[in-house]
Amino acid sequence: MAADNRYEEEEEVRTDDGSPITKPRPIVRLGIFLVAHSPVFSVVFSAAGVLALLLLPLLAKNTYISENALMPGSARSMLSNRDASDGSKLVKDIKNFRLNHEGQVQRLIGKYMSEMVAEVYYQKFQPEGNQFHPLHFFSGPASYTLLGNVSCASYGVNVVGIIRAPRGDGKESIVLVTPYDFINGGDYEDLSLGIVSSLFSLLSRVTWLSKDIIWLVADSRYGDYRPVAAWLAEYHTPSFKVSDLLKCDELNTADNFRRAGTVAAALILKVDGRSERFEDILSIYADASNGQMPNLDLINVVNYLAVHRQGFHVKVEKVVSLLSSSWLKIVGEIFEAVGKVANTLNPDWKFGIPAAEYIEGSATLASSLYSQALGIPTGPHGAFRDYQVDAITLKISPGFPPDSKARQHDFFLRGSQLLEGTIRSVNNLLEKFHQSFFLYVLTSPSKFISVGVYMIAFALLVASLPMVAASLYVDGCKALTKSTHNSAENFKSWKWLDAAKQVFALHLLGFIVTLLPYFICQVPGQHSPRNRSIMWGTTSSLLLVTFVTIPGCSPFSSRLHGTNWAILKSVTISAAFIGLCLMSIINFATAEIGALLLVPTCLLAQPIKPALRSRRVKSLLGAFCSMVLVTIGFPVIFFAITKGLVGEGLVGLSLGGEFWTWLESLWAWKSATYLYIGMVHLPCWLLCVCILFHPS
Amino acid sequence: MKEKKKDDGEMAEELEKNSYRFWIWSIASMIFRFCIILFPENINLSSRPELSTPLTSLCRLAEGYWLKQASMSPYSGSMYHGSPLLLSLLGPLTVHGIEGQWNHHLCSLVFVVSDILSAVLLRATGQQLEKAYRLNLRRLGLLKASRDRGILPCGDIAALVYLWNPFTILSCVGLSTSPIENLAVIVSLYGAVTRKQLFERRVPLAAFGLIMATHLSLYPATLVIPLIFLLGYGLDAPPRKLFLQTRDREGEPGQDKLTRTTQLPFLWKTVLHFVFWVLVWSIYVLVLCSLSLKQYGGLEEMFKRTYGFILNIEDLSPNIGVFWYFFAEAFDFSRNYFLIVFQIYMFLSILLPLARRLKHRPCFIAFVYLAFSSILKSYPSVGDAALYLSLWALFVNELTDMKHSFFIFCGYIGFSLLSPVMHNLWIWRGTGNANFYYANAMGYACFQFMFVEESVSAMLNHDQALKKATAEMTKN
Repeated sequence: MAADNRYEEEEEVRTDDGSPITKPRPIVRLGIFLVAHSPVFSVVFSAAGVLALLLLPLLAKNTYISENALMPGSARSMLSNRDASDGSKLVKDIKNFRLNHEGQVQRLIGKYMSEMVAEVYYQKFQPEGNQFHPLHFFSGPASYTLLGNVSCASYGVNVVGIIRAPRGDGKESIVLVTPYDFINGGDYEDLSLGIVSSLFSLLSRVTWLSKDIIWLVADSRYGDYRPVAAWLAEYHTPSFKVSDLLKCDELNTADNFRRAGTVAAALILKVDGRSERFEDILSIYADASNGQMPNLDLINVVNYLAVHRQGFHVKVEKVVSLLSSSWLKIVGEIFEAVGKVANTLNPDWKFGIPAAEYIEGSATLASSLYSQALGIPTGPHGAFRDYQVDAITLKISPGFPPDSKARQHDFFLRGSQLLEGTIRSVNNLLEKFHQSFFLYVLTSPSKFISVGVYMIAFALLVASLPMVAASLYVDGCKALTKSTHNSAENFKSWKWLDAAKQVFALHLLGFIVTLLPYFICQVPGQHSPRNRSIMWGTTSSLLLVTFVTIPGCSPFSSRLHGTNWAILKSVTISAAFIGLCLMSIINFATAEIGALLLVPTCLLAQPIKPALRSRRVKSLLGAFCSMVLVTIGFPVIFFAITKGLVGEGLVGLSLGGEFWTWLESLWAWKSATYLYIGMVHLPCWLLCVCILFHPS
Repeated sequence: MKEKKKDDGEMAEELEKNSYRFWIWSIASMIFRFCIILFPENINLSSRPELSTPLTSLCRLAEGYWLKQASMSPYSGSMYHGSPLLLSLLGPLTVHGIEGQWNHHLCSLVFVVSDILSAVLLRATGQQLEKAYRLNLRRLGLLKASRDRGILPCGDIAALVYLWNPFTILSCVGLSTSPIENLAVIVSLYGAVTRKQLFERRVPLAAFGLIMATHLSLYPATLVIPLIFLLGYGLDAPPRKLFLQTRDREGEPGQDKLTRTTQLPFLWKTVLHFVFWVLVWSIYVLVLCSLSLKQYGGLEEMFKRTYGFILNIEDLSPNIGVFWYFFAEAFDFSRNYFLIVFQIYMFLSILLPLARRLKHRPCFIAFVYLAFSSILKSYPSVGDAALYLSLWALFVNELTDMKHSFFIFCGYIGFSLLSPVMHNLWIWRGTGNANFYYANAMGYACFQFMFVEESVSAMLNHDQALKKATAEMTKN
């Protein structure tokens, strides 16, 4: 980072000594050159970073099946009409069962499963409340703790059926999940049960199965995620205490939790409301917590089979508002034109794509980045990722009304053939998924950007930080040596210590502010989110005031200590650089969005007092820009702006409450983004404010 | 003379103030440790590979103690690899538990106490070194009374660096035995540096510390060189040539008496005394060990399971060192060759040349040796880094001109934060692999090397600057 700084210093020392100046090595000279012209290069690098981000949809590659063992679509489907009619029968039975109120639907499904020679059991679980555990990110799922007090008022029951593989040794399994609301499930939800039961009836007969198949009908009364997470927790960490939940109901669930070995892959199937088109639409959701993705091969297999065998229209989520944005259209057209020109120069250069495709890709990319940056899983597949299991959610929107019997049969046939093909591919695997990418962003179901490409955009963006830090450090040291001659002599290379102390103090403050919600949640009594956010705001600002008044910690007392703002800014930029680089490894998308905000703010932050005094247009403009950036950079305001951009409308007084709710969702989902905001973004933002109002 | 007296009075006042502040900060650090110890539920620190190695993990010690209670060899099953003495000392503390879980609070208390003790001893050592530094500068005629204040209280700084270093705090609350190992090293340095009376060093104490440290983790055995230098030549001082120059220049009788003391010959008697005590303590320790392991294979078993384990690098579980990955990848037939090369590398290329070049600064040599051994150890933890970083702080006066300090500081912070992230990526998420964690370990080792290199070159530059200054004075 400060490597450049090092070279600079080396050069200085040489000339100071009066010894013959030897020519430094080329890389050293390059470093010195970069640092010496850091303003120009920082602008160039940042601009290149933004440009590279815009170029990403162009650089996306087509997906390919990386693992040879998968061989999707090479076997003929064995699914017959009989299996599909089995599914239809289940759907019809469930409907009748519901109409007649004959008791628990779970029992019916369980009965069906055991008719198909599956081992059946029921699992009871408790919906979990919102808990504050941001640090759980670093520990594994093993630290999962069961709730102490159990109430019979609210609990869910999962139904699980296991088909033992005739060729397997019971050490591996594939999981199929159908979230189903047993109390008020709609017609579309029944269809998902129908598809999987058709498949199940086939799988109970086939001979090629070498991995056990687990069908989990998750009770989605308390959300899709929680039942799956509860089942996985019990699957992987058996508890030897008898839960009080067992006594709650006549449905006996005690002592029969069955397992089937390591989970190789999991598919979550949902059938959702009717699609706008005539054809059936398959949406793939893959983002787990903290921007983790399943292995790309799994998506590839599903996508390949769905498109080339079953004729589904496959799509991934996109930001709809971007599709109609005019500036993106202009950018796309420019890229298209450039691509055409390049193609005429050399026919081998084929990087141009049509503008429409570019817009589509960007909208998908934006949505991918957004959901990864939030760090909240987009479905129950997120629970599997915590156990290193690759899982995706397939959401099918049928193109027909639920009561159309004729098309329902065909729908079951195609849906279960898709699942059958996928399971057959996964069944072939000898090892767990490892061949293809884990770190990637999708721009369409069949196009992806791998980590090696998207990191370039980030690296370019943050590359300017160390350069500017080094050049500021050198400047600051020079200025300090001039101003205070005696004290500086003693500590030639330790002048940054005071500034580091201030930076540390503000990061400590950030840490405390990050932990505050834990204590605010402990405050007795019911409080609205708005009140809680007000509490949080007041305590944080009180803390800030205390920190600022402590001598030595406050950046405003620096005149007494002899630090100048250049060194403070240099240390701030270094801290921001370390924080962003760390975050880019934890969650790339957060780091990218954070860098887009933080890098210009840090680079432009300069004391506004001299700028106002000088009254020159350039410095006034600079001061204005940094003021604007600092205003945007404040998390609450950025949140409001994003909401406005997404189209939810700017909200007035309820903003605090909404912001609190949003943050609450972040920490409830153990998102590292929350830690980033509190421990990197907020302190660096505060330091930038301090530099802006520095009394120099 | 009068002026000097006044100065001394002011200094005494300042000293008192300093010591007052020192005690406040050390008590605060103690409270901070207790706070972390009392709320450990969220972060399972004792399972972090950065904190507890196969040698220092207290969980393994508890296991070894349990085996011993069940009249099995504590070394059976490759769980425990530490000293049998530590087993007898800390073992009983690990079993007193509430509700079946062993109580770590008692052990933590031991670690906190040993940390505080280390800090106090470090402070005393530092005060002695500071005194010597002041004296030497005065002898060279470089220090005027008015500039006395520029000298930092390095003892206080070192002790506070030790107490507040995040590495120390983490290894203290993370239930690893490295605080005790560090204490042994500091005891040996303290024994060699401070004096009971005018000339009599605490030789037995130094020997005891050395033997205990060697017994606990083997690598501090290298400290025997700096300790002999310390006892033979005296405390850290500028090169002896400079004093000769000064004496030639000023033939004053008062000065002469002072300079003659700097011309101390190598004190064979003290060194022999030291060697004698080393023998006594080592026999003592060996006898104790053999007594405690009588039924379980005796000393041979201990040597094989502790020192053999260290030298052979048997456990290849990931740590922050640079060897585990290499030996996991190396072919079996070349393993012995690499083992010998790596272990000898340290001795040949680092120990001897440095001992020759820096023999006038034995304490500094001790720092450099400890730093190198913490980089090239078979099972390093951040506790080792904590030790050498605080020893480094003993030389703040000499190392004020250290280059690239900010760069190195940033590197240390970056890599120590990156380490858990990489570990998480590899172990829990499965999206990374061993290369990620090992890359981090290599980066960390790089920065450690850079840190040692810059410190040594700053120290040599300091000597150079002193030489220049005395030469100038002679000219004038």
